[in-house]
Amino acid sequence: MSEPLNDNRWERAVPVYGFPVITRFFLALAVLIAMAFVLSGYRELAGLGPVSGMNDAFGWGIWKTFNVMVLTALGSGAFAVGISAWVFRRKHMFSLMRMALLTSFLAYACGLLLLGIDAGRPWNFYWIVFPWKWNMHSPLAEVAICMSIYAMLPLAIENVPPVLERLWYFDSRLRPTVEKIEKRLHSVFPWVISLAYLLPGMHQSSLGALMLLAGERVHPLWQTPWLPFLYLGAAMFMSFGCVAGTTMLCCLVWKRAMDMDVLTEAAEITSWLIFGWQALRIVDILYRGAIGTAFRFDRFAGVFWIETLLVVAGGILLYQSVRSRDPQPMFLGYILSSLAGMIYRFSPTTLAFRPNPEALYFPATIEIVVSLGFISLGVAGFLVAVKRLAILPAPLNAWYDMANYFRFRRPYIRWTGYFQGGYFGSDAHKAEAKSD
Amino acid sequence: MANSVQPDKNSIRAHLEAAGVSRRDFLRLCSVLLATAPAGLALTKQASAAALATAIGESKRPSVIWLHFQDCTGCTETLLRTSAPDAAHLILDVISLDYHETLMAASGAQAEAALRKAMEDNAGKYVLVVEGSIPTRHDGVYMELGGKPAVQVVKDVSSKAAAVIAMGSCASWGGVPSSDPNPTGAVGVDTVISGKPIVNLPGCPPNPYNLLAVVLEYVAMNRLPALDELNRPKFAYERVIHENCPRRAHFDAGRFASAFGDEGHRKGWCLYKLGCKGPVTHAACSTRHFNEIPGVWPIGIGAPCLGCTEKNVVWRMATVETVPIHLATPPDTYPPINSGAGQIKTGAAALVGAIAGAVGGAAWVASQRFRSSNEAAVERVIADRKQPGISSNERSEE
Amino acid sequence: MAITRRELFTSMVKAGLPAAVVVTVGAETSEEHVPVPNAAVGLLYDATVCIGCKACVAACAEANDTPPDTRGDELHQAPTDLNDLTRNIIKLYKPTDGSPASFAKRQCMHCLDPACAAGCPFQALHKDPETGIVSWTADKCIGCRYCTITCPYHVPRFQWQGFNPRVTKCELCKHRLERGLKPGCTSVCPTGAVIFGARTVLLLEAKRRIKENPGRYYQNRVYGENDNGGTQALYLSRVPFEKLGLPELGVESVPARTLRWQRRLYQYFALPALLYVGLVQVIRKSLKGHEHEAIENEKRTGLRAQL
Repeated sequence: MSEPLNDNRWERAVPVYGFPVITRFFLALAVLIAMAFVLSGYRELAGLGPVSGMNDAFGWGIWKTFNVMVLTALGSGAFAVGISAWVFRRKHMFSLMRMALLTSFLAYACGLLLLGIDAGRPWNFYWIVFPWKWNMHSPLAEVAICMSIYAMLPLAIENVPPVLERLWYFDSRLRPTVEKIEKRLHSVFPWVISLAYLLPGMHQSSLGALMLLAGERVHPLWQTPWLPFLYLGAAMFMSFGCVAGTTMLCCLVWKRAMDMDVLTEAAEITSWLIFGWQALRIVDILYRGAIGTAFRFDRFAGVFWIETLLVVAGGILLYQSVRSRDPQPMFLGYILSSLAGMIYRFSPTTLAFRPNPEALYFPATIEIVVSLGFISLGVAGFLVAVKRLAILPAPLNAWYDMANYFRFRRPYIRWTGYFQGGYFGSDAHKAEAKSD
Repeated sequence: MANSVQPDKNSIRAHLEAAGVSRRDFLRLCSVLLATAPAGLALTKQASAAALATAIGESKRPSVIWLHFQDCTGCTETLLRTSAPDAAHLILDVISLDYHETLMAASGAQAEAALRKAMEDNAGKYVLVVEGSIPTRHDGVYMELGGKPAVQVVKDVSSKAAAVIAMGSCASWGGVPSSDPNPTGAVGVDTVISGKPIVNLPGCPPNPYNLLAVVLEYVAMNRLPALDELNRPKFAYERVIHENCPRRAHFDAGRFASAFGDEGHRKGWCLYKLGCKGPVTHAACSTRHFNEIPGVWPIGIGAPCLGCTEKNVVWRMATVETVPIHLATPPDTYPPINSGAGQIKTGAAALVGAIAGAVGGAAWVASQRFRSSNEAAVERVIADRKQPGISSNERSEE
Repeated sequence: MAITRRELFTSMVKAGLPAAVVVTVGAETSEEHVPVPNAAVGLLYDATVCIGCKACVAACAEANDTPPDTRGDELHQAPTDLNDLTRNIIKLYKPTDGSPASFAKRQCMHCLDPACAAGCPFQALHKDPETGIVSWTADKCIGCRYCTITCPYHVPRFQWQGFNPRVTKCELCKHRLERGLKPGCTSVCPTGAVIFGARTVLLLEAKRRIKENPGRYYQNRVYGENDNGGTQALYLSRVPFEKLGLPELGVESVPARTLRWQRRLYQYFALPALLYVGLVQVIRKSLKGHEHEAIENEKRTGLRAQL
């Protein structure tokens, strides 16, 4: 029974072919991006007040709390999927690694860019170069420094192999250089990857620690000493949702077959993460005695129940989809649980933040457009990358399909490279021959 | 308490008794003096009118020589324009006005002789009060007293004075005669003489009790009151009219008269928009009104302050010109402990709703298509494995 | 799977995890003990003496060379709260049930363990070790506004207009203290409701007032002696402090209470370093296995491996 279904197992990452980069959707994204850049320029000149709904009571608007706190959590795929693949050796997760790395890189890059726009005095960022000037007790310093190092070093390095691969295939003159670089990367791989798991662990939890300092102003249903850990846990199941969900969506849009083995394994991991996380949250609330506040008729209780119901529903849908191997509940499960995670990470800074009974915050239109614009930047980057680099996993024959496509459609490209092998070169093969 | 010891013949108290002034009237004068300068004057630091009366009563009557120059005599009139007729006499009895061209009976050579005698008898002890500005252009030819230019006269008389009080804006900084084009070169006293302690009492006219307080402080305490950088006594000229104005509440609440005779004007609202110079005018008129009757002062009767004490205001600014307020003192309203911030704008809310709807809708639609799409894709894969080498795009009907 | 976890744990145990745990968990971090600066100066505000004349609000703007905040109606200096032009404000607590009202002077509390300085990434907000004044340096500030969120009294305010925004808060007129003058607000207070002095002296004065006027002050205590770990701006009040906007925070400072575990876990970076070493071991092993498979795949498909 499983035989015909396993025919579409994902064995290789294959660029998306047959779909142009410039589509109407892409142009719409470009328009949003242009608007965002122009408005960012305006923000630099006019200050933060005229472009946003931020005020004295709510010093952080959606740029910090959504694009950075929430979207980098969605973009922790490199961390969560990576750990399950490399540390816990779940073989199937390797297929999703490149997707995870790409989404993470784009989420972090766009988030950090917007962080630079959100800072009121960004010209003083140069202090980051002097470690003795850092205030290492500040969670925000930890977040800023860790995120920057992470995005610029391990995450960037991990995203280099698909680019090198493309260079290798497209221009044989570059092959010696490419192979040299690849060898170098290979040797530092363990060190880089370990950093790629340590740093996000640190800063995703520090993002939670940020709101610890706000003390009583965060509603007791969210404020807890476990906040860093809960933020980290939320990042983990959210990012699984983002990576697997994006992969499913890509397969839908570009008509690829889905490997239900991989996806069900991802769904299983995610559902256990969700249940564990939710259990920890409930136990913590009960232990602190804050459960009473969940039964009042105010907006905090409302948000709490929405979060809880969404995440539990998402977890249940995912768990069921593992058994039934049905993509529909799986996708919905990912959407609901990611949404719940997003609301959870967003709440302590905005929805559950009460600096002052009379104050409120709602983002201004310019703020929303800039935020959307930077998200569009990430999406546009994703679209370009996924069509030019081998990121999206596919069955093996898709590779041959793609090669044929390029042979017939674009003969001036050295397509023949796509049939070649030999990553590990003659040395490894010799070693293998010896050990055999 | 009746003092059984006979007072010194030359003391003020003795003189007042001899003049038949009742102690009650004198006490009344002292209480007005207390109201004049509740703070800032060593003399009026006494706790009560009675204590003040004792302090003054034991002092000697000060000799005052009063010179007129380019004046309108308004500053003399202000000394006399009191609501109680005896008070004028009282003021004139407390001080010994040894030379005053308007009030003295003598004239001509007799007047000159009186001046000479007063200067000699009280040399080094008299207080010189100057009223009116002094013309300096063309060697001061525009005013002569007894053949001598005014500049010379003031220098002569002040040389033997203990202190000089410039009474009124004209004597303080030039006043009306000094307004553009100032053809006579009118200046205030402190431009002409130096080397003597000078107290400026600008105002057109100033409150007479300012003068009285300064003179008595000098006589009873032997010192002049604390002066600001323009030599004006701080107890009367430290604050601007605006700070203590009785109509301040209307200013704070934003109730202004916009035209003379309109509803606001009739209701007694703030005159700022009619050009009141209160915010930039240093004087005490808002707390010490004139003629000992509360409410008798320009703003009190609905006339915006002209800024008559300030050289840069009166005769320089139009009466209807509003002044900028530099000393922005806080109004009567208080902020609450928790103040609001932020608002929800409909445009932004609509945008958020639209985005949420669009994303949610797309997700729902996508989720519906998964089954069928995946089946189709799996079929293609199986077909590919059966026919490798041909692009699936070619195979499809598109 | 089970093998993997055991590997992870054994490599960590080998690396000396117990030692690290003892180091981080057992020892109290040095930051949890809050020192009082030698020459700590401060303010004592007695709300029962304040008449709400707001001379201190005007004097503060003058002393700091700040234009008065007339943004409300373009005419009056009438800020409704602390803001980028207002370092000091008088607020009114007026209950509707007829119980006593009170004025509340609000400005920086100059906490002994300030949450704003604890959160500031590049130490732009810095507590002077001698006088204890918490001041802001433009050169180090990146405008992240974290201080506006961490301060339990909601004091630092960000300038929302313009391309060179600053963070504004009371700095006890340290430029005047250098010249031997007193802060602007205390110099003009007509009733002596707010006075300036050494913190120790002010505490003694406050306690003297409490002793000589039993029942006049709320709970017979001075706010700021131990609240929030101790502050240098002290308050005496007739009404509950919370009504004046001063939350009851307990005797531990906000940073000490909330960042305790954060500080312990990251002390000396021991735990992260150990985790890193453990991860490297595990991943090295995974990489070997992965390479194995990649070579197999290459042989089978003839295509270049993707790592």
